[in-house]
Amino acid sequence: MNTRAITFLVVAALVLLSPEMGSSQGMADASAIAGQNLRGYTHMFIAYAIAWALVVGWVISIARRLGRVEKALKE
Amino acid sequence: MSSKIRWTGAVLGVLGIATTLVLLWMVFFWVPTERTMGVVQRIFYIHVPAAWVAFMAFGIVAICSAVYLWLKDERLDMAAVSAAEGGMLFTTIVLLTGPLWGRVAWGTWWTWEPRLTLTLLLWFIYLGYFLVRASTDNPQRGKRFAAVVGIVGALDIPLIHLSVVWFRSLHPAPVVMKPEGPSLDPAMLATLFVGLGASTLVFFSFFLFRYGLERMTQALAHREMAAQAAPRPEGAAS
Repeated sequence: MNTRAITFLVVAALVLLSPEMGSSQGMADASAIAGQNLRGYTHMFIAYAIAWALVVGWVISIARRLGRVEKALKE
Repeated sequence: MSSKIRWTGAVLGVLGIATTLVLLWMVFFWVPTERTMGVVQRIFYIHVPAAWVAFMAFGIVAICSAVYLWLKDERLDMAAVSAAEGGMLFTTIVLLTGPLWGRVAWGTWWTWEPRLTLTLLLWFIYLGYFLVRASTDNPQRGKRFAAVVGIVGALDIPLIHLSVVWFRSLHPAPVVMKPEGPSLDPAMLATLFVGLGASTLVFFSFFLFRYGLERMTQALAHREMAAQAAPRPEGAAS
């Protein structure tokens, strides 16, 4: 099978499996519920990720500074 | 660092991590989804605890700074600078998570309404705390100036809390700390309290380690000053 045929099959599969295609095949209710309740999912994950990254960054910063000062005190 | 500080910090840290894991389970698997805002409302369980810890940290800065100016005890200044660093971190979390929530709930990342503006002002005041501290050649003078900034900065905290009551604001009014009691769903309230507990434990754990670091840094600075002041042996290279 040549590359063009594989590409066509992959694109066709992606289109058929996409949520928009699903909603047009009788899944409109599920998508509407998702649209209503899962609004801002990305924003929520980014918020939690930022908070965790900042706290972990602070821990690493304290640990590095502690290590540096402990080393300097031992010398 | 003394073993007492290290152990207390480690115990609080382990408790903080355990409580945080419980919080994450509650946030993602247990608490009901808010009807109007949907999933994005779950930012509330990290946004509000971060604000609580930030205000508590700046309260510690103000109290320690005031007593430092009175007693001139270096340990109070060390506690103040340690709390200020944590306060800055948690205020940054508040200022970054708020717009992510606001983008979905209000349709905008930022608006110059009183609570948001005063919170940003608080962040800049404590940025000024560190800048003032580092800006003088005389460390004692820097510490005194920073202590004054720390005290004045804390005056912004009640303004932030009351701004939504005093002014017409886009930011929602308090749902927990109000005269007629909390108006939250019990499950949401429980999740919020677990969040407050987790963030407080995490803050105090890192605060202790930061305080230990400050003590060691001061000890190192005193040792270097003593070494510089000590008379050099005769014949030593200059």
